[in-house]
Amino acid sequence: MTGCCVCCSALRPRYKVLVDNIFPEDPQDGLVRINMEKLTFYALSSPEKLDRIGQYLEKRLNREVKGHRIEFVFIAMDALDQLLVSCHAQSLNLFVESFLKMVQKLLECDEPELQISATASFVKFANIEEDTPSYHRRYDFFVSKFSSMSHSGLAKEETRQKIRRAGLHGLQGLVRKTVSDDLQVNIWDPVHMDKIVPSLLFNMDDPSFLATDAESPRDEEHPSYIAEIVFRDLICRASYSSIKSVVGPVLIHLDNHSLWVPNQFAVKCFKIIMYSVQAQYGYIVITSLLEHLDHHVKSDPNIKGGIVGVLFQAVLISAGGSIGTSVLEVFNILLRHLRISVDNKSQNTEMRNKEIEFEDEVINTIGQFANNLPDYQKIEIMMFVMGKFPQFTSDEDVGGAMDSQLQMNLLKTLLKVATKYKTVTFSNTFPPEFLHPLLRMSLLDDPQMRVTVQNILQTLIDRHNNTVKLKHVVLPADVSQLDLTTEKASRQDILFMKKSGMQFYWHIYENMQMSSNKVDNFEALFCTMSLLAIELGDAEILLELLRLALDIQKMVVTSAGLPITHKCAIHGLIAAYINILAYLSSISSLAEYVQQVIETRKKEAKCLLPDFAYNRNNRPNRLSDLENSEDYRSSDLVKENCLFDQNKIAECLSSSGHDASRLSSSFIQKPYNAEMGGVSRSISDIQSINIEIESVDGSPSTYRKQYDEEITVESLKKMLAESSGANKDSEDKRRLEILETFRTAPFEEIVARSEAKSNHFHNKLNEILDNVEDPSERLLTEEDDETGSQATIPVFQMQFPDLFVY
Amino acid sequence: MEDYKYLFKVVLIGNAGVGKTCLVRRFTEGLFPPGQGATIGVDFMIKTVDVDGEKVKLQIWDTAGQERFRSITQAYYRSANALILVYDVCCQNSFDSLPQWLNEIELYAGSKVLTFLVGNKVDKMSKEIPTQIGQQFAQRYDMTFIETSAKECENVEKLFMDIARGLTKRARDLNLQPEENNEFPSGGSTPISTFSCCKI
Repeated sequence: MTGCCVCCSALRPRYKVLVDNIFPEDPQDGLVRINMEKLTFYALSSPEKLDRIGQYLEKRLNREVKGHRIEFVFIAMDALDQLLVSCHAQSLNLFVESFLKMVQKLLECDEPELQISATASFVKFANIEEDTPSYHRRYDFFVSKFSSMSHSGLAKEETRQKIRRAGLHGLQGLVRKTVSDDLQVNIWDPVHMDKIVPSLLFNMDDPSFLATDAESPRDEEHPSYIAEIVFRDLICRASYSSIKSVVGPVLIHLDNHSLWVPNQFAVKCFKIIMYSVQAQYGYIVITSLLEHLDHHVKSDPNIKGGIVGVLFQAVLISAGGSIGTSVLEVFNILLRHLRISVDNKSQNTEMRNKEIEFEDEVINTIGQFANNLPDYQKIEIMMFVMGKFPQFTSDEDVGGAMDSQLQMNLLKTLLKVATKYKTVTFSNTFPPEFLHPLLRMSLLDDPQMRVTVQNILQTLIDRHNNTVKLKHVVLPADVSQLDLTTEKASRQDILFMKKSGMQFYWHIYENMQMSSNKVDNFEALFCTMSLLAIELGDAEILLELLRLALDIQKMVVTSAGLPITHKCAIHGLIAAYINILAYLSSISSLAEYVQQVIETRKKEAKCLLPDFAYNRNNRPNRLSDLENSEDYRSSDLVKENCLFDQNKIAECLSSSGHDASRLSSSFIQKPYNAEMGGVSRSISDIQSINIEIESVDGSPSTYRKQYDEEITVESLKKMLAESSGANKDSEDKRRLEILETFRTAPFEEIVARSEAKSNHFHNKLNEILDNVEDPSERLLTEEDDETGSQATIPVFQMQFPDLFVY
Repeated sequence: MEDYKYLFKVVLIGNAGVGKTCLVRRFTEGLFPPGQGATIGVDFMIKTVDVDGEKVKLQIWDTAGQERFRSITQAYYRSANALILVYDVCCQNSFDSLPQWLNEIELYAGSKVLTFLVGNKVDKMSKEIPTQIGQQFAQRYDMTFIETSAKECENVEKLFMDIARGLTKRARDLNLQPEENNEFPSGGSTPISTFSCCKI
């Protein structure tokens, strides 16, 4: 220890002499430059001595530290740094050992200055690329110490910031040093990440720093800023397997510091993560968030809401990559939380409101996820969501236990997804296996839900943003005032309408006579009908829509069950609708006729006009008011001249060269009118089969494929019993009508229909062949069905001409 | 060359405000800081003591008691050789949360960790937890019990010296280096590498 004696210097090894010489007499003078150069040269020329130089320097440094000769300590560190930087030899490895020991020594000191200087040296070291493996080198102490420095709580603001900054730089150096090299210690180990990540987040979460807006020049030396940079650096280096060990501590930190509510900081963190993470791993972050949501199942809805809010932002950023491999799983988790939240019926209104907020967040997020999917998957997702409705699951479940609130939420979800969908062609938007359940839902009990279903339909049908213009039932003399955007319907869409139009018509028709309808319902129906006319405004389709309007009118006139207000509303709706049809078909005589009827109504039956029927202000409060009301006096018996006359419309049409013959055959049958009155949920198993049989245009095979779970022996039995009795008459009528249709309908239409049918047959066949999981049973069901319906219902025989067309 | 024979990591845990930082500072710096603020995250101190003529270096990690820092402090006692679980003898609440702390220790700390239970602030008049109760509790969970006062410097030295002795004895008994996984003695004369002070 006393080897500094000058007289002994000749006896001592050369490296010791060189090392001793770099220290000046007076510490104020700093490192002796010339001697330092000599030492460096020596080290470079005989690298095998480097480790000894290191050891000797270390010894000196220890002595200086003990004696609190700070200046000398700095000089020793300076020398070490220079040696480290200039020497790139194999033997650096051993030298590094001494070097790190010295850094640790300094870090253990209480002096902030020494700690900072040690960190600076460490960072320099971290930037050196070593070419030899160092399996045994461990950084535990450094991770612990730097993390602890990042949390520095020193009283003096300036020193505290310096120490924190040093700690953060040290952590960054550590990450840089170890991350790229497999031979180094695994920094991604949770032991380390659990210290590093919270330290970074702790510094990032500085309210005073967050407050400064992005515009103002940032204090680049602020620990918060540095922490952010280090954090980004860390994230972008993370590989597939290590993302989780970073995101995990982040989530725990946010939990512990209750940073989910409000979630600005959480959002900020995850924005950084999402922007920095390698794009292909983005979905892991999303998955982690989803899993974290699972952890919080029982937590306060506010917290859950915060998490989902973050999720939403994250999904927004990650775009296409957000979903990863398991699309449905993501939606399943979110839908499950939606359900849990709804089931979580809290008596407390405040809690309930929070839950509702959370539900809305979830729905928005689902929408955002869906937005990132290609269109065809959106339809899939909508079908998946619909699958969550009890009606569509197995029979036993239909017990009605399903919470209406959940249904409402699911519908909102559907709507959200639907709004993200851009319709191009209708056949793509509405594959039969999607369209049918959707339409089926349009007949739900709850009027509010029906409105939502209509909204879904509208957003899917509307391609030209006309929905807003048709939100209310209006009857302008000049329809062009509405400023509707129209475009000629493509051939494909017309074909689609020929195939599936009947389903739309039938459901609209049924919807009209729901006794629970409210003004909103009628308005929504009007909107849907008008959109259909606008988007698919081909002459023939318009004709069918006219026919639909007339049928509805007929229904209103003949039906006894509907309240007066409904009748008026429907009359008004039809007037407005035919008005639009007249405009779209640009048949001037029809438009004139509409105006004529409207004028008559203005004089004699104001209540049949939308201005009256859809004016929310003059709605009667009580039934008695309604009975006695002057305005309604004549509406029980609507005069003929106030109605739209089928023959006159036909005249108008034929005068402008349209084929009006089909207008006379009302295509809407009401085969189970009686049942409708009693049970307002019109769709039960048998009925859905009946629809298939009744509607000529329908595609029975598709229906069956989809609802094959509904075709049970029981239902077939019921059908057998019923069809022979109650429906006999209508059956006969139907038969006549089908005959009529084939006699009068244009050839193309018949072709289109049979084409559709054969397509479906084809699809069906494929479906059966594909269905390998339970082929025997499935086939059996089909056969049963086939024979059953043929034996009982002669309608199918009448369909043979259909096939002969080909 | 190293200036110590053994290196041990000691971690202090316990509720916020029981006097962990004061204990450490009393021991390492010999002073009682009045108006000590709450520790943020983790603080670090080092002290070398003499056990039977051998230098023993104690790395003392002083953790924050606040709930929000729980996750980062947990990360620290994973690798501890000794834990000091502190409660305030004048605060029933801090005593009541001991089982919770023990639970954490079981979850995160190594199985061989040496645990001390410390009732701090005995200088105060309004003592709520009698020595007897603390003693019993410590016995039940196989901890060493000691009552201290950082302010009056009572038993502080003894506490850390006991730990140093206990750990040294254990290290010698096992005839091992204190770090089991220290398979690479680095260049110096001592078998202990400071870089291998990790074990899970």
